[in-house]
Amino acid sequence: MANDEVASRLAAGLRALARPCAAFAATLVGAIFLAQFLLWLAPGDAADVVADTPKLREALVREWGLDQSLFKRTWLFLGHALTGDLGLSLTYRPGAAVTDLVAPAAVRSGVLLVGALVTSLVAGVGLAFVTAGRKSLARRLVQVFSVVPVFLMAYMLMVVLNETTFSLMESGTLARPDWFALPDQDSHLKTGLAIVVLAFGSSALTEIHVASEQELQRIRRAPFLDAARARGARLAPHLIWNLVPPLTTLASNRAAFFLGGLIIVEKVLHLNGVGAMLWQACRLRDYPLALGITVVAAGVVCGARLAGDLVRVAVDPRLRARA
Amino acid sequence: MRSGVLGGSILMGGVVLAWGISLLTHYDVVSDVNIRQASNLPSAVHLLGCDHLGRDVGWRLITASRAIVGPGLLACAMALLLGVAGGAFSGWYGGWVAESIRYLFTVVSAIPRFVLVLLVCSIYGSTVWNIALASALAYTPAMAESIYNRIAAFRVAEFVLAAEAHGVHPRRILWFHLLWVNCRHLVGRHLFTLFAYFLLVETTLSFIGGFGVVEPVPSWGNMIAFEWGIRDGNPWATIAPALSIWGVILACALLVEGLREDDHA
Repeated sequence: MANDEVASRLAAGLRALARPCAAFAATLVGAIFLAQFLLWLAPGDAADVVADTPKLREALVREWGLDQSLFKRTWLFLGHALTGDLGLSLTYRPGAAVTDLVAPAAVRSGVLLVGALVTSLVAGVGLAFVTAGRKSLARRLVQVFSVVPVFLMAYMLMVVLNETTFSLMESGTLARPDWFALPDQDSHLKTGLAIVVLAFGSSALTEIHVASEQELQRIRRAPFLDAARARGARLAPHLIWNLVPPLTTLASNRAAFFLGGLIIVEKVLHLNGVGAMLWQACRLRDYPLALGITVVAAGVVCGARLAGDLVRVAVDPRLRARA
Repeated sequence: MRSGVLGGSILMGGVVLAWGISLLTHYDVVSDVNIRQASNLPSAVHLLGCDHLGRDVGWRLITASRAIVGPGLLACAMALLLGVAGGAFSGWYGGWVAESIRYLFTVVSAIPRFVLVLLVCSIYGSTVWNIALASALAYTPAMAESIYNRIAAFRVAEFVLAAEAHGVHPRRILWFHLLWVNCRHLVGRHLFTLFAYFLLVETTLSFIGGFGVVEPVPSWGNMIAFEWGIRDGNPWATIAPALSIWGVILACALLVEGLREDDHA
């Protein structure tokens, strides 16, 4: 009997997971097709960027499958991508495998992405607990400062940090610190700055704060919380557990936003990540590299959505029962 | 909150006024260079002073609105066309056609917006018009999805069923009863958000360089970048465009909030 129950629960869980997993695969394939479609529409092709003789151009067109139809090209790309082959860089590091270039940079950018996501969630939800349901000056202040674009916030922080340090050095209060003038090398200070800017800038904090406030108020009005209150139970566990599904959705949606922001902070703060690499690839018209990074970014967005769906299914028994 | 909406409207009005002035007057971005006025502080002749090439910061600020308002309106028009049509059609009719449309929007939204804009700029060139179209394309899924959700929820509402029972034409129910009466605030919110997003993208690209508006043509983004690292320069050459960017985005945020409060649907 117990085994039957476990089996039926497992089956319900698997049924509930099937749809998000199918959506993940279909969306990722669609995103790859869209990126290929944009390249296919481009005037000329990738071979024009590097080939200086008609013979070389012809060879490159054949090798990269540029003479194939759009569907065939997408199919070939997908086949190679599944084996970890995203092609070769054309102009960024001619001949280098895109996977080899992207993998180490993606790890560095991943730290920023996760850091920004956690920071903004902690700050936004924490503030929401303080301000939800009240008239608060903090809400207005968060809105006013958080609308500052990421690039402007990074620029202002750098200027303020450098100018303050410079005046302290001139007055003899401070010896020259090794991070002064924020040189090109990566440092913990720059990583920290990037995380703060990403987490707070371009309305990131406001959106998380406002959404958390709305969810908190919705949960506080819910009948199950009245019942818990009537029983004299502690409310915090109910509040937090019921906040998990909406916060997961919020976090998975913000992942796409932070991925865009990564490009900006990495360029402004001279961090060597996948965002700065994408910018450079686009400037140099290194289409295989740009395409590879776009596919990785789309994979992260789809993966974040899938993770969000899985967490919701795990937390909310109604979703499993509905499946 | 009404004061917020008023403030937002005044700021937006200021930008549109600047755009109108820039279209009516002809400011020559090249011949304005005058090294003898380099980094001059604000005066009666140059209200915001001059940059380190002696160019009038005020005029450049006004001229830079050309890179924002016209293309921003184009982006809004494109998103309005695609987002409202896609969202309304899929919400009203439902079925596999609606699912296909929603799948297309999901695919577009799987690529981070800024990545999509950068990819489009790299392939087709980074004119402000291309940036506007790419921003609109990247933003449309969010707009279409919210319209879809609302139309699909109202599709079986009693007032819609009553209108159908009274023989009101489905097109009128969709366009007037649902879209105009119940979705106009929602659409307005998305349009202001998109405008702010386009401003953010355009100024960011111009600030970092390589894409967007290139010197000597002014953009609020490249005006800040141009003064970067200049010691003892005119601070207003940086502060004025930075405040303009912040002000317009804040204005859009205030208007979005005002529309959210007016939205009783």
